[in-house]
Amino acid sequence: MTIDRRIIYAILLAVVTLPLVFPSVLEVTPMTPVEKLFTAVDKTTDDKALILDCSYSPQIKAEVEPMAIAVLRHAFQTRKKILVLSLYVEMIGLATRAINQVVEEFNISAQTYEDSIIYGRDYVFLGWQPPPIVPMLGMGESIANIYVVDYYGNQTDTLHMMEKIRNYNDISILVALSGSRIPISWVAYAQNRYGLQVGVGCTAVSGADFYPYYQTGQFTGLMVGMKGAAEYEELVETNYGVKGRRVASEAMLSLTYAHLAIMLFIVIGNIGFFLHRRKK
Amino acid sequence: MKKMIPLTLIFIAGLLGVISFVIPHPSYQVYDEWIRNDLLRVLSAFAVVLALGSLLRVHFDKIKRKRRNWQFSWLLLFAFAASAAIGLFGGVAADGILPTAIGSFRFDIQTLYENIVIPLASSMFALLAFFMASAAYRAFRVRSMEATLLLTAAFIVMIGLLPLGYSISKHLPEFVQWILNVPNVAGQRGIVFGIALGVIATSLKIILGIERAWLGGGE
Repeated sequence: MTIDRRIIYAILLAVVTLPLVFPSVLEVTPMTPVEKLFTAVDKTTDDKALILDCSYSPQIKAEVEPMAIAVLRHAFQTRKKILVLSLYVEMIGLATRAINQVVEEFNISAQTYEDSIIYGRDYVFLGWQPPPIVPMLGMGESIANIYVVDYYGNQTDTLHMMEKIRNYNDISILVALSGSRIPISWVAYAQNRYGLQVGVGCTAVSGADFYPYYQTGQFTGLMVGMKGAAEYEELVETNYGVKGRRVASEAMLSLTYAHLAIMLFIVIGNIGFFLHRRKK
Repeated sequence: MKKMIPLTLIFIAGLLGVISFVIPHPSYQVYDEWIRNDLLRVLSAFAVVLALGSLLRVHFDKIKRKRRNWQFSWLLLFAFAASAAIGLFGGVAADGILPTAIGSFRFDIQTLYENIVIPLASSMFALLAFFMASAAYRAFRVRSMEATLLLTAAFIVMIGLLPLGYSISKHLPEFVQWILNVPNVAGQRGIVFGIALGVIATSLKIILGIERAWLGGGE
């Protein structure tokens, strides 16, 4: 039994796009790996900061950008200081985009200067510093030595937030968002040498590779794929009432139907295979 | 001599890299930081220049010799020149000396990135979903018991990781987490150990000059 591949493409197109055109938010139950990451970020004290490594490319933006936005909303809502960086130049634009979106969300509804998200006071965008091993190891000694100027050309050590944030000793957790093995490099270099806590947001495809590190506690928490992003969005909204578009949660129905469609194609293909084998 | 210099350099660099993890004393760490923070960054800058030069040379050559699809090389060169000029002189926040807006039409580097690079890259990757569906239909056949087990586990994990899994049974996502935490980790750990041993062996061979493929062949 053969189905023309154009029919397969058409069915997949329909099941993916129709739920996006007629959206319906599915209830998402956060799992333990995401809860652990959320709790670890939540435990960041006022004298420390968290680092968000936005090292995801445009190809995986759909899965990982919602994670970046959810973590930024979490940090800004709870007034946790956050440093954002990218390890590769291709990802800088995505980091900028995520920051700009969330900052605008918060500042549109801010009533006072204290409510607003202010650059240098609430967050710093460090930018990009090649090669990756330089910031991974160098920030253990001094962040300002590695990022002498931030992404916008400001002297890093003159920024208000950086007066007390000197190196990894002042960082509570680093959340690495990536589709490759960059989070493992953070463990190998930064955690191994300086004891930095590392959390991960990754694509569904690479998620299985990271479970050994999660199991040993080298990764404090884990967000896997768009479902992981939806779970974090759920936790942020449930715990802190942060209202904002939940892109990952909206896409859950589309993701569900696409998975079911692919499973159906596999079953149909195998039924055809067995029937054909029986005829022979 | 032609081979001795790079071999000696790689031996020294490899040794220094290993020692830096073993000697925590500040008197040595100062040199390690200089190597990483200064020397490596300068080398990276030269590597970027080298990569760009190589790319431009390949495409100029393609245009000159009118090789297949040489017209696209002109497109690449134009995109390279335009984005370089806008990025270098337009500023990261559109605050450079080059104006990057005509009325409400903006063409600063971030706008170009968000409206050209992101949609193109995302679309290319999105095509994979269709190829994957077609490949899954054609290639996933349960020809043996192992294939049956693999497919069954795959179906259970796929459903369990969706919100649908929780609707079917509250225990299904927990079972899927068990699959990921226990059998998956067991298999992955074996692979990771193997890879780690391979990396150690290859690295030692390169540092000691036994493995010389990286030197390049020929004259």
